[in-house]
Amino acid sequence: MGISRDSRHKRRLTGGRMPIHKKKRAFEKGRQAAMTKLVSGEKRVRRLRVRGGNFKFRALRLSDGNFSWASEGVAKKAKIVEVVYHPSNNELVRTKTLTRGAIVQVDATPFKQWYLKKYNVDLGAKKTQKKDQPAQPEVKKSRSLQKKLEQRMKDRVIDNLVAEQFQNQRLLVRITSRPGQSGRADGYILEGKELEFYVKKVEQKKK
Amino acid sequence: MADVQTQRAFQKQEGIFQNSKKLLAKKTSKGVRYWKEVGLGFKVPKDAVEGNYIDKKCPFTGNVSVRGAILKGIVISTKMTRTIIIRRDYLHYVAKYNRYEKRHRNVPVHISPAFGPVNEGDIVVCGQCRPLSKTVRFNVLKVIPNEIIGNVRKQFVLF
Repeated sequence: MGISRDSRHKRRLTGGRMPIHKKKRAFEKGRQAAMTKLVSGEKRVRRLRVRGGNFKFRALRLSDGNFSWASEGVAKKAKIVEVVYHPSNNELVRTKTLTRGAIVQVDATPFKQWYLKKYNVDLGAKKTQKKDQPAQPEVKKSRSLQKKLEQRMKDRVIDNLVAEQFQNQRLLVRITSRPGQSGRADGYILEGKELEFYVKKVEQKKK
Repeated sequence: MADVQTQRAFQKQEGIFQNSKKLLAKKTSKGVRYWKEVGLGFKVPKDAVEGNYIDKKCPFTGNVSVRGAILKGIVISTKMTRTIIIRRDYLHYVAKYNRYEKRHRNVPVHISPAFGPVNEGDIVVCGQCRPLSKTVRFNVLKVIPNEIIGNVRKQFVLF
């Protein structure tokens, strides 16, 4: 292919040329980028043998990943819905490419279910409930469980912007793994100032 | 706070978790800041601890360790963002004539936003760190203000 990662082809700090007195070496070689695409339902990962006998997992198509909700301390496997922003290149957003640092929208249901189980609070539930709708069947809770729930409700804090996202069943997530190296698209749910920052960027793009 | 986020990606310090529930509940805008001492008796500038800037190559608030050589030089150029060029003068002995000749080297050095505006002619102490870019391997640790008469590039100052 010819992608080489040497510094012999570059000029010196003074601007002078470097004499090329060796051929390209195998330890300097680079490979084509993975350009992992977001394809719903599909997962295509190739295994590569690399230097030292180790393996890299080149993800070519991915549809889900493991995302952590850092302030709550949980991670859940969820489906990736859409690539929404990329700080390096707008082209990557258009072609739905998953890379480290990409901001994607993720399905919120695993987190909603977990939150319901832990705090007995339904995030993203519609505020007004119709009277003729049958009430949800009351699950019998043991006294120790009820005590635990009360304790947890006391310290319960949630970021408003994050809670709002649950209404649309979508959470904004930043990918922190490198899909072309590890074969996975994992990340963390955006919160706080970072979330405000990226929400603004996404809205700017929409305009 | 807003002037820190000038890039397309959200600027933050790498190892700091800004969204813990304690911080969310407090609703203070200060947040947590990571800073460290570099050792060898160098004082941490006040702006590194209290400031808002994000610089991953700063020796006090970023992910670089200072180890190896410590150099002193005179600043000759401050036109790059967050990096300066310093000039180090030395004498080279010529054995045939039993005399010395003047030589100099220009070294590009990374300067953290913790140090205020640095002017040409100031004396700078810098420490060696891992390669920060193609040519930068040093980081400013201390700035000593200095006045130079005439062109900085024509001075010979031996440390």
